[in-house]
Amino acid sequence: MQSVDTALAKGRVPKSGRVAPPASRRRSRGVAPTALRLVAYAVLFAGVVVALAPFVWMIATSFKQPQDVFTPTPTLLPTDARTGVWAPTLDNYLQVLGIGGFATAFLNSVIVVVILVPAKLLLDALAAYAFARIEFPGRNALFMVLLATMMVPGVALLIPKVFITQELGMSDSLTGIIVPNVISAFDIFLLRQFFMTIPREVEEAAMLDGASRIKIFWSLALPLARPALAVVTITSFIYHWNDLLWPLVILSDQEKYTLPLALQALVSGRVGQPQLVMAGAVVAVMPVIVVFLIFQRKILEGIALTGLKG
Amino acid sequence: MGTRSSGVTAPGSRQGARRGKDALTAYMFITPAMLHTLLFMLLPAAAALYFSFTEWDMISPARWVGFANYQEVLFNGDLYPDFWKSVRVTLVYGLLAVPASLLTGFVQAYLIDGIRRGQPFFRLAFYLPVITAEAAVGAIWKWLYDPQFGLINAALGFFGINGPDWLGTPGTVVPALALIAAWQSGSAMLIFLAGLKGIPRSYYEAAEVDGANAGQRLWSITLPLLRPTTFFLTVTGIIAALQVFGIVYVLFSSNIGPEGAGLTYVLHLYLAGFRNGGMGAASAMSFLLFAFILLITAVQFRVLPRQYEE
Repeated sequence: MQSVDTALAKGRVPKSGRVAPPASRRRSRGVAPTALRLVAYAVLFAGVVVALAPFVWMIATSFKQPQDVFTPTPTLLPTDARTGVWAPTLDNYLQVLGIGGFATAFLNSVIVVVILVPAKLLLDALAAYAFARIEFPGRNALFMVLLATMMVPGVALLIPKVFITQELGMSDSLTGIIVPNVISAFDIFLLRQFFMTIPREVEEAAMLDGASRIKIFWSLALPLARPALAVVTITSFIYHWNDLLWPLVILSDQEKYTLPLALQALVSGRVGQPQLVMAGAVVAVMPVIVVFLIFQRKILEGIALTGLKG
Repeated sequence: MGTRSSGVTAPGSRQGARRGKDALTAYMFITPAMLHTLLFMLLPAAAALYFSFTEWDMISPARWVGFANYQEVLFNGDLYPDFWKSVRVTLVYGLLAVPASLLTGFVQAYLIDGIRRGQPFFRLAFYLPVITAEAAVGAIWKWLYDPQFGLINAALGFFGINGPDWLGTPGTVVPALALIAAWQSGSAMLIFLAGLKGIPRSYYEAAEVDGANAGQRLWSITLPLLRPTTFFLTVTGIIAALQVFGIVYVLFSSNIGPEGAGLTYVLHLYLAGFRNGGMGAASAMSFLLFAFILLITAVQFRVLPRQYEE
């Protein structure tokens, strides 16, 4: 292994005997030689198959007719169980969207994220900007309080938070999903770190021109913070679209269910009908996957940067 | 924090007015965030502790009972027969799931880091399971684990293995949950990948010059330098594992699984509080969990700086 390695290095860098030149840089970390790299690719592709197989099977099952679902050998395509002929159906989706309540649930989920995510973004950014850029009495103390709340696990405050939401008359409503979640200390922290990297000179120039703080925030700081705002937007969209626990403890009226709740109800209500459950799962999962595929580079780099966990 | 870069020397009245106006704007900016923090974080934090000392169903007023809840939850096997079982299930889950997802995540990151083309593709594929809603993960895996028609046992059958009824046999429930955690290793993968990219290439080059092979480089450069990353992921992984809820809630349709094998700590807490109306006892359970997580976090803060000093 080692000899192949050095031989390759020498072949690539004919004149100098050292291994430092740029051409060999990429190779010199981790698994380098061609043979090893092929093994790496083989293992990675096997991993991808395992990672994606559940999704493929979910989609396949969702298009199957009831009598084609329970086959001794699972089929990855919606084919007729006996003849093997291509026989997909949209019935499962129509059923789930109709009597399964997924059309309503989809709408509820959309309402929640369309209101919650922008509101959260604006309010978090306002606070983050003030903490990053304006000096005011009590700034450090208040910021410490905010930081401290980040250490408290969500479950610990679940019960009193539900109680307060109830007392405010927001239980069993989408407002009760939105309002209690409209501030995130973590996002404030993240945005503050980003605002702090914006050169002060830019702001001071604007101030000399007589611009107000609000104007500076809105037309200078916010546009400059676009990369950070994008990460916060997408991660909170994914988080709230997927959230099960909070809607579960707040909502009881089925008409107000968000998608995760509707899916949970489907799983426990439709035992023995995986084709319906999988159609519901596709409806719940697809919007997130689409958004993720569109913005994947931004999200993955942002997450790696902040150490934020999915 | 708190450095003034504007280099103000003249304490002119215009400057002072500006500062005063600025502070006012700052308070305006942070008011929504701080009010929200007060209402949905600080107040619940105080209330959580108070309610844990009461008998309460969230409907009628709470009645002070001192330490009775703690005593009953911890020591009264007649009232809470499943408490220690839920602790055990959760600890065993963490013991299996955290190493499983860390190991998978590391292998993925290490292999991705060693290849030249296709890095974004693999990152993306391994991250998809992470952004999938818990409810959907539960729905999909319930169908994958179907003893007769599920994909898992079909795959095992391909190798001549007669797969068990994963979610129906007490002994296989937690391993089945850990396998799901390994499938969702994408967040560990991303953070390991960021850690790998942070290792200076010169280290590898120097080792290569000294004739170290890939295995030696992995063992004596990569792994030691990734220790802070591994430590961080272990701690955050444990904290997340202690709070696992959504997936089991969906997998077992809000029940506790065969012989309670799926009864995680938070599921037990949820059922005690929201199903059986024992909000006081559930608050005590929340507080115990919070104290335990705080302890882990404190240990992390003590150990982590030392890790970096090395």
